[in-house]
Amino acid sequence: MIPAKFDYVRVDSADAAVAALVEHGEDAKILAGGHSLVPLLKLRLASPSVLIDVGRVKDLSYIRDAGDHIAVGALTRHREVETSQMLAQHVPLLALVAGEVGDNQVRHRGTIGGSIAHGDPASDLPAAALALNATLVLRGPKGERTVAASDFFHGFLTTSLEPDELLTEIRVPKITGAGANYQKFNRRAQDWAIVGVAAWKQNGNHGVALVNMGSTPVRATAVEAALASGATAAEASMHASDDTDPPADLNASVEFRQHLARVLTRRALEAAGVK
Amino acid sequence: MSNRLPCQNGSRCAAEGGGGENDRVEILEIPQLGEVKADRCRLGEGAVLDSADEVFQATVHGRGQLQQIELAADATGKVTAVRVRLIADMGAYLQLVTPGVPLLGSFLYTGVYDIQAFSFSCHAVFTNKTPTDAYRGAGRPEATYAIERAMDTLAYQMKMDPAQLRRHNFIPKEAFPYTSAGTLVFDSGDYAPALEKALGHAGYTALRADQAARRASGSTKHLGIGISSYFEMCGLAPSRALAGLNYSAGGWEAATIRVLPTCKVQVITGSTPHGQGHETSWSQIVADKLGISPDDIEVLHSDTAISPLGMDTYGSRSLAVGGTAIWMAADKVIAKAKAIAAHQLEAAEDDLEFANGVFSVKGSPDHNLALAAVAFGAFTAHNLPDGMEPNLEAHCTFDPPNFTFPFGTHVCVVEVDEETGDVDVLRYVAVDDCGNQINPLIVEGQVHGGVIQGLAQALYEEAVYDDHGNLLTSTLAEYLVPAASDVPPIFTDHTVTPSPTNPMGVKGVGEAGTIGAAAAVINSIVDALSHLGVRDIAMPASPNRVWAAIQSARA
Repeated sequence: MIPAKFDYVRVDSADAAVAALVEHGEDAKILAGGHSLVPLLKLRLASPSVLIDVGRVKDLSYIRDAGDHIAVGALTRHREVETSQMLAQHVPLLALVAGEVGDNQVRHRGTIGGSIAHGDPASDLPAAALALNATLVLRGPKGERTVAASDFFHGFLTTSLEPDELLTEIRVPKITGAGANYQKFNRRAQDWAIVGVAAWKQNGNHGVALVNMGSTPVRATAVEAALASGATAAEASMHASDDTDPPADLNASVEFRQHLARVLTRRALEAAGVK
Repeated sequence: MSNRLPCQNGSRCAAEGGGGENDRVEILEIPQLGEVKADRCRLGEGAVLDSADEVFQATVHGRGQLQQIELAADATGKVTAVRVRLIADMGAYLQLVTPGVPLLGSFLYTGVYDIQAFSFSCHAVFTNKTPTDAYRGAGRPEATYAIERAMDTLAYQMKMDPAQLRRHNFIPKEAFPYTSAGTLVFDSGDYAPALEKALGHAGYTALRADQAARRASGSTKHLGIGISSYFEMCGLAPSRALAGLNYSAGGWEAATIRVLPTCKVQVITGSTPHGQGHETSWSQIVADKLGISPDDIEVLHSDTAISPLGMDTYGSRSLAVGGTAIWMAADKVIAKAKAIAAHQLEAAEDDLEFANGVFSVKGSPDHNLALAAVAFGAFTAHNLPDGMEPNLEAHCTFDPPNFTFPFGTHVCVVEVDEETGDVDVLRYVAVDDCGNQINPLIVEGQVHGGVIQGLAQALYEEAVYDDHGNLLTSTLAEYLVPAASDVPPIFTDHTVTPSPTNPMGVKGVGEAGTIGAAAAVINSIVDALSHLGVRDIAMPASPNRVWAAIQSARA
């Protein structure tokens, strides 16, 4: 429960963070809220030689109306996302999901950027970003680039982020007035989801993504396709486990996870307003 | 026996570590223990192992039994015989009472029922796992689980209400003291009132109607009601009985009460507290006996320089044994004080009465002497009866003549989601009878903690090994200890059936919640799903297990 030795660098701007990443190379890790990284350090599942602390960077914490989308700064705490009136109006699913992360203390420390950059398939927010067609803004030494959430998650804890890049902003298209629901199934209230399903519905459009159903967060494309062709929630949800390769662990077998994905998808869709 | 660490001059101090069993009763052979320096109390070193995870992996584990239980019953549901066969996992080595755990439980497999024929056998097996040892309840939760699960199964097979089956089989209160088929003498019991109270608080009749309505409606959220009418043996113990169980220590407890010249009172107990509230309860006992304020009492413990004699806190024994020693030492103090008061008042001892801290001559209350004056007089020793030693102090060692046998009924109400296997505990009612209560708030706290520990065993906690003997649940991330947010509301009530084993009529309550809870929880889950064909579910009843049980019942 004691991390391996590391050096610690505190930076006060996103550009300084990128410069530090360039300087320290692949063994450096960004430390934001610390709620994904620090447990890995303590269990020695990760042992970076340098931690670059962006916790005091002022200009990366915001929730802004940017016309067709809401821009959320990467350092925005889960609690701010959870309680944002702007998000409640325009992207209610994001606020709902943020409200289901850990407990209140965790939500006051953990950041949306940290959670998404970590790319844990069992975390709540990466799946929400997928379901919501979010775009991620990455800043590196050559400037900024944008990556669609659907292209961002490559494998277990692996993303499009290059070692010298910092996730700075999450852009979430407005789906004003959408019905939304997040089904998080776990044994203890504060655990990671055994399976989670994030879903929204606005007029004839839908988004559905799955938590902990593979090595990355999974977009339930077969469910979305079925809904687009007029399937009911019950019918469409039967496709929730199509092409999934979920893990088996002490909490759930593969078969049970796939069953849960179907049940929870139906519940999420119905709660979001799909008949 | 608590982990007493070197303090000063080679004496030993015990830290308030919380909990009385498991690794707390052991001196483990861990090298760091030897490094604790003798010149000061280094309780920080007392943790010895680096982390909770390491303590969890490397000290001792609990339970670990494969149980087979058979009941014989007549056509009315009257149980006539019980046969139990156990395989008990010792782990890789024997710790302090490892083989004693199933033996301690062996007396309880006939439960609270009047059953005349009883057969018990146990094979203890060594495995390449972490050793097992006493874990809250130590053999009694295991026994309660077996008989209470079996009673529910019998009720189901006989199409009887499980509450009615229990009523039909209870040992009647007139039968106490009751010699069981397991050859113990149960001190006192009145089981039906606790059952009826628990059923009443739970709203049993309405719950059964709700259950039937849900089933008729085709709902996939099934209601289950689980009953556990437990009892247990605690207040460890007559030293001779412990010898019979191959325990390496006696079961007595020691106390000293010293009334200082200021009438402040020192109470020295060998029953070391580690969070159970002994200081409060012992002060209450002595304050009541001596008629003084609890504020004037100091309870001293946990340091062998002060309290070298004692057997410690475990086995729900502190009050029934250690508290009784306090009570009896107070009687000795009063007897000596009375002799001094009689001498100074020039009255016969038989003519004195003692109330509210004052000795007075019967019928002439103005002719009196307060305990404070007696204590000061004992100190100055200017005017004591011939041959009496100065000072007011008494010591008592109490070796109990029997165990005590607390009991109660717990009712667990769950909603089981057929689609996900999720178990939601809607209500938990615990009606416990631990005889007379000294501090009801402490009793309630013990019941709450105990119930949560039993509920955790039933729903969450498990030491899982892989085929190669690796502990898979090796950290508190995998070994699921419930947090406050996972614990249902617990409603507590009690009945009072005093024990004849000790003068205060007290029993014990430290383990009762755990002993009763697991069976109530699993009974409620099986009850919820019985109409789907589910007959049993192994602990912990994880959603995956519950779901799989439903699937296989349907197949």
